Amino acid sequence: MNSIYSVVDYLRDLFTTRLPYFPSNIRSALIIILFCAIVFAELYMYIAVRRIRQNAAKRKKDKWNDTISNLLANIIIYGDDDDTETIINHFLPQFKKLPLYRPFIKKMLTKELLEYHANFIGKTADVLRGLYLRLNLHKEAIAKLKSNYWEKKIEGIREITQMNLRTEAENILQFTDEENGQLRMEAQAAFVKLSDDNPFRFLDRARERILDWHQLVLFEVITKTKNVQIPLFSKWLSSKNDSVVMLCLKLVNHYQQWDAIPLMVLLFKHENLKIRARAIENIGKMEAEMVEENLFEMYFNQPIEIKLNVIEALGRISSGNYLDFLKSRTYSENFKIRMAALYAIKLHGPSGEDLLSKIYHDSTFQNRSIVEHVLDQRIKN
Amino acid sequence: MISKILIVEDEVLMLKALEFRLRKDGYEVHTAADGAVALDLIQAQSFDLIITDIMLPFVGGLEIVSKVKGNPQTKDTPVIMLSAVGLENIVLEAFQLGADDFITKPFNLSELSIRVRKHVKQPSI
Repeated sequence: MNSIYSVVDYLRDLFTTRLPYFPSNIRSALIIILFCAIVFAELYMYIAVRRIRQNAAKRKKDKWNDTISNLLANIIIYGDDDDTETIINHFLPQFKKLPLYRPFIKKMLTKELLEYHANFIGKTADVLRGLYLRLNLHKEAIAKLKSNYWEKKIEGIREITQMNLRTEAENILQFTDEENGQLRMEAQAAFVKLSDDNPFRFLDRARERILDWHQLVLFEVITKTKNVQIPLFSKWLSSKNDSVVMLCLKLVNHYQQWDAIPLMVLLFKHENLKIRARAIENIGKMEAEMVEENLFEMYFNQPIEIKLNVIEALGRISSGNYLDFLKSRTYSENFKIRMAALYAIKLHGPSGEDLLSKIYHDSTFQNRSIVEHVLDQRIKN
Repeated sequence: MISKILIVEDEVLMLKALEFRLRKDGYEVHTAADGAVALDLIQAQSFDLIITDIMLPFVGGLEIVSKVKGNPQTKDTPVIMLSAVGLENIVLEAFQLGADDFITKPFNLSELSIRVRKHVKQPSI
């Protein structure tokens, strides 16, 4: 102890009485050392206080986390015969005892509840949803829609969708044509899931492009969500937004909506080649024989990619009416056209295969090898 | 004798929920939050049923199935896999390795109870 006092006395003496007598460079060095020592001491104190606080917060968080997860896990121990309302009424008072006026506890409960809800279906999911609503946790999610930050809005939309708050569909509709692509996508997918009367209304007002990967997501949502009212997608085939037309063409094909065929024929003249190609592909996949004449008529004025689509579609339709035309294409100068025409002929079944044998005998050495390739059962187109 | 079940799941909340539910159904429940701990437990004692998630830290669910089914002492222990939607290919692989059943998340707890009852040899209390 004495030695500490002597060191302190020495330092005090050094920086007070003796300091003025040192040369200026030593004086400066001593002042710098003193400054650094004070800064380091403060820094260590700051770190120590921060660590203590963080540990205390972590302990508090762990404690609440444990309480909340135990409460939630207890929901599992109910009788299978009890109805949802009885179970909610049984657990609600226990949840109400939590200090939900404290934001971090409310946030923690919401997070855990959502996580739990995502893993279950049936009565457990219904009970969790009931508790979520009765504890007014949905108000926070709805408030997030008004946030200035798009990430918050997305958080709110996801929460609302997960908890199936169908009354909020109209609020979400406003984001379905947002400039921000991520928000737009989340809102469109959520609207399809939540809207009762017209889940595809957002397509009427969609001015922003629906990106290709977003179309995939929407397609998944539309085709996999239960109880979605599927409209006639031909309604949007005349949309000015090409990405809407593209998405609807995929859906027309998926749901085999034959009413859309006349409108798809109109799309054969669409300036966007992708749309033109998709419309032709759909006609082929739907085996719409009644419009194969339109396919034939358009063929000669098209670029190669579209010509290939037409040939493929005629092959899928396989009416036999255009076998001669397809045969004539096997003499095309373009290899891809020749190949596509041979495959299209093959799709005609026995009559096609007969024709292929005739072509084989009448054609050049090079064409013979292509026919052999097409007829080889081991090779798929 | 009470049936012993091992649950391997890295989501704490899920682990707790399954533990509570199966305890309520009268089973002796052991838990592991990762695959490595689960394999240690399987080596140390025998179980009547193993329920394991597919995606686990350190040692995955598939490796657990392969180790359990590859060991003559444990090969008869039924294994139920828990999988998320979209992991159908992995589920197929799990069946090839010898998994006995699988449940896709989200699932119904009553369904889980019934499936567990079907697979354990000894009845619960």
